Amino acid sequence: MSMLATLLIGSPRGAQSTSDALGTYLLERLKEKDASTNKIYIQQVLTSEQGINMLFQSIGEADIIILASPLYADSHHSGVIAAMELVHKDLKNKPRIKKQMMIAISNSGFPESSHNDVSLAISRRFALGCGFEWAGGLALGGGESIGGRTLEEARGLARNVKKSLELAADALARGENLPEEAIALMARPLMPRWLYLLFGNVGWLWQANKRGCRKELNRRPYRD
Amino acid sequence: MRPANREKSMKVLILHGERKGESVLSSAHEIIVNALSLNGWQAETIILREKKIARCTGCFGCWTKTPGVCVIDDFGREVAGKAIQSDLIICLTPITFGGYSSELKKAVDRFSCPMLLPFFTTIDGEVHHKARYKPLPALIGVGVLPCPEEQTERIFTELVEKNAINLHCPVSRSAVYYSSQNPEQIREGVRSLLWNMGK
Repeated sequence: MSMLATLLIGSPRGAQSTSDALGTYLLERLKEKDASTNKIYIQQVLTSEQGINMLFQSIGEADIIILASPLYADSHHSGVIAAMELVHKDLKNKPRIKKQMMIAISNSGFPESSHNDVSLAISRRFALGCGFEWAGGLALGGGESIGGRTLEEARGLARNVKKSLELAADALARGENLPEEAIALMARPLMPRWLYLLFGNVGWLWQANKRGCRKELNRRPYRD
Repeated sequence: MRPANREKSMKVLILHGERKGESVLSSAHEIIVNALSLNGWQAETIILREKKIARCTGCFGCWTKTPGVCVIDDFGREVAGKAIQSDLIICLTPITFGGYSSELKKAVDRFSCPMLLPFFTTIDGEVHHKARYKPLPALIGVGVLPCPEEQTERIFTELVEKNAINLHCPVSRSAVYYSSQNPEQIREGVRSLLWNMGK
């Protein structure tokens, strides 16, 4: 029987997110290794009881659980934490019937991957608390530069990211933890920091300009 | 208007992150409120689960559409306003896998971006967003666990420290208490947590 990999997307931007691009690329590589796959958008399933039950069922059936999520204020988005709380409660009194591995992929809008450390530590505590085997975490900095594109569309920019996820898929298919090389490749900057900051700062001005509020960008509405 | 002398009139916002059906924060909350009152500080508690606060959608509208104000018109805006106008924010939460509860995080997600500008700056060699307001409030994180858990407590401490750096808080502290702990011990802990905070 082939293994089942369930991808949980934690971003409220859903299919347009960097989390989706990262998780989907890994899922595709696992498919090539004969894994069955399943994708769940956490923010969507949380809106109904039926969705929450689907989340419980998918996690219960999975051999590999992949949480791909963005960094929000140094941690997970509140919806991801809500899902973690629900899943943990659901699994608390259920017997463990098979080995289940979990990994997390965290991406941040800051260029340094180290901003993701706390988020990955929280994912690890969650995994262990649920009785999953923690197989490791991947941290990406500068995730905004992928910006809603697939990794194939991001081309050379995502070269190290793709290599990292390919190594991750190899290891997971063998039932092993993420290799150090995959972790190191994911943590490599996507571009020089000065260039990321330049693009970022210009990008905000461009967006504000498009929305007609460039002159108001520095507004202090709660104190002025 | 912000008070000219923070020592004399600290304005404190307590964000109470207990989830529905839970009762783990009442002792710590009562002790904190009493300690603040003894210091002569003006405290307001928001029990977040009682308020309608939608989750952040990650649209960045609070930066590039309605700068400084979240595009979602609900109590989340009020939390952001109160947080920005306070001298000290106390995040009180049951510790959840080392982090904040989903109730507290919902509020933190909603007030963090409006406190900041989209533009980048570097602090101790690491990139962060620039502050929209100067000064921004100090931050205290108080977490409650059923019993001691070293790793979990370390994650919580690190989270509060990282939040304080990202939110440009001039001072930050954190503490972890246990449900089974003697109230006198918690009281002593809270006293030292608040010591010198008004300076």
